[in-house]
Amino acid sequence: MSAKKTENTVVVRKVVRRKMNFAERTYIPEFAKGLAVTMRQFFKNSQPNVEKRDTFTRMYPEEKTVYPDRYRGHHRLMLRDDGQVRCVACMCCSTVCPANCIHITAAEHDDISIEKYPSVFVIDELRCIMCGLCVDACPCDAIRMDSGEHIQPFGERGEAFLNRDLLMSKGSLSMAVQGGENG
Amino acid sequence: MAKAIIDGTEIEVDKGTSILRAAADAGHEIPHFCYHPALSSPANCRMCLVEVEGMPKLMPSCYTQVSDNMVVHTKSERVIKAQKAVLEFILINHPVDCPICDQAGECKLQDYYIDYDTQDSRLRSQKQNKVKAHAIGPEVVYDGERCILCTRCIRFCEEVTETAELTVVERGDRAEIRTFPGKSLDNDYSVCVTDICPVGALTARDFRFKTRVWLLTSTESVCTGCSQGCNIHLDHFRNEAQRYRPRFNAEVNDYWMCDSGRLSYKELHADRLLAPVINGAEANWYEVCRNTANKLTKAVEAEKNIAFVVSPQASCEDLLIAKRFTDEVLKTDSLYLGGKAAGKADGFLRQADNNPNRRGMEAVFQDRAFKPFSDLIEEIKSQKVDVLYMMGSHVPVDADSRAEFLNALSNVELFILQTPTQGDLSEMSNISLPSCTHAEKSGTFVNFDGIAQVFQQAFAPKDGALADGEILTRIAKRMDVDFGYKNLSEIQDTMFNIPEPPPAEVAEETQTEPSAE
Repeated sequence: MSAKKTENTVVVRKVVRRKMNFAERTYIPEFAKGLAVTMRQFFKNSQPNVEKRDTFTRMYPEEKTVYPDRYRGHHRLMLRDDGQVRCVACMCCSTVCPANCIHITAAEHDDISIEKYPSVFVIDELRCIMCGLCVDACPCDAIRMDSGEHIQPFGERGEAFLNRDLLMSKGSLSMAVQGGENG
Repeated sequence: MAKAIIDGTEIEVDKGTSILRAAADAGHEIPHFCYHPALSSPANCRMCLVEVEGMPKLMPSCYTQVSDNMVVHTKSERVIKAQKAVLEFILINHPVDCPICDQAGECKLQDYYIDYDTQDSRLRSQKQNKVKAHAIGPEVVYDGERCILCTRCIRFCEEVTETAELTVVERGDRAEIRTFPGKSLDNDYSVCVTDICPVGALTARDFRFKTRVWLLTSTESVCTGCSQGCNIHLDHFRNEAQRYRPRFNAEVNDYWMCDSGRLSYKELHADRLLAPVINGAEANWYEVCRNTANKLTKAVEAEKNIAFVVSPQASCEDLLIAKRFTDEVLKTDSLYLGGKAAGKADGFLRQADNNPNRRGMEAVFQDRAFKPFSDLIEEIKSQKVDVLYMMGSHVPVDADSRAEFLNALSNVELFILQTPTQGDLSEMSNISLPSCTHAEKSGTFVNFDGIAQVFQQAFAPKDGALADGEILTRIAKRMDVDFGYKNLSEIQDTMFNIPEPPPAEVAEETQTEPSAE
């Protein structure tokens, strides 16, 4: 490499390239080498064991993505031992919700020990920003986002209003004692 | 006068003042449950204990009077220990069901726990079970487990309403508030007990589970149920009034208001007229003002008989515009008295006159004579009225006369109605114009006692509604009369502007609530 200062102060640098040998000049072996890399990746990434592949692309929906344990997915409403809704309509979740996507109407329950329950509980999933504050705010472990399912795409806006019964159908029993341990 | 030192602050108070009030004046808050400024002090909650130098035991500050050279400590170690003990004692059987309790957010026990206690429960035994959601009266629900037995409600019924329905039954940790046998908490002021209840033991049936109090926005307003004009907090959420709550004013309503007035917030949203209507078809304001103005101009030029019904339900500001409208635009002096029919006075707050602003109307219209509404019915019947302009859809007559009035309306050539609500009257009218309720505008009412009280706008007008004065101003402008008011304060400056001594003494807009409550 040599550099020579010209009058116009332009630095000209001459690159000395390695001379290709005959085999390289025919391109054939190099072509085969390149194809070998492509084919190796092709077979590695199309093997049935998802974990051994190099890519993160999945053949959705045939192959489901494995989400981490604390993934915040589809909301669900937890149930009491007798299958009724755990929620007591305290509206802590709808108050804390930064997207204003939870709508609750409280009603008087016939059972005096329950007293208050949500007659309407609607989550507008199009508005939801998946922040998980509703789960943190809930004093009775009634709302969770641990279903492990992501929100499916909606064809119409109306479909995104998830009502109480749908949210309860994904629910299950909670370890927490309803009403607190001393209740 | 007695001089005392409270937490190092020297203060001079009248003889007989309790330490609690003196401390509040000196700027030191003493927590209390059973003490209420309008009720007697039983000193049973023990939350307000303070240390007085020279006295061996802690003293209840709501009951102990300040004496000369008294030295009081409200934040000493002994006092703090006592406050924690009292709160722990109260919380032994308290269910701590704040998530389902309507009082959560405005609960004294919640506030004091955070301010004075914040220790975990040491109780490991079962809590006492008591009565839940007991209908203690038609408007009030009682929860025995939440009750801390401060007996404010009992003293309210004994001392304020003097009906004495409530008492404590049982003893010790089984004690509960109950009505006397055969009685029910059904006096006309019963919901006031839910305001004075420091916890969620007494809740109003109407407000129960409706919304959470921390979501509400509160606006200072005046109740329109009768001419007493009780000062209220208008609590609203998402452009809808949720409840009325009395606001302290020693000259008008003290801390109280009646149940019917409290429930009158429902009228704000019932059967609202949402858009101007011309002959049954909805129109926009531009169209309807032009149409009304054309018709009225023709009527004025043809010197037809124009009758104007003035409503004592409207605010002074709107009435001033109405006065100028009748003088300068309609050029008529046949004014009739509208508003609601008279009810019954109960000798406490409820007045017989159901219109909140009759004194204000008289003050604004000064020497103008109003004819009674019955005269209007007669004159319509004998076809002496060609054009009828009515403010508000209330008529101060009984049902028979009202039916008579509705039948006679076909004799009127042009009937213009300005009303917040739709009903048979708005259907009979040629033009109906949607007006605001008092929650949707600011203004002034003068109560039966001559006290002018300002109310503030709580939320935006429903759909197309406009304030009465705004509607009249727009129509007048179309008829080439400009009243020249730019804003509400310009109207307020001139509405009582008369040379003689003012008929209404303008009281302070709002009284500050004593910090002891």
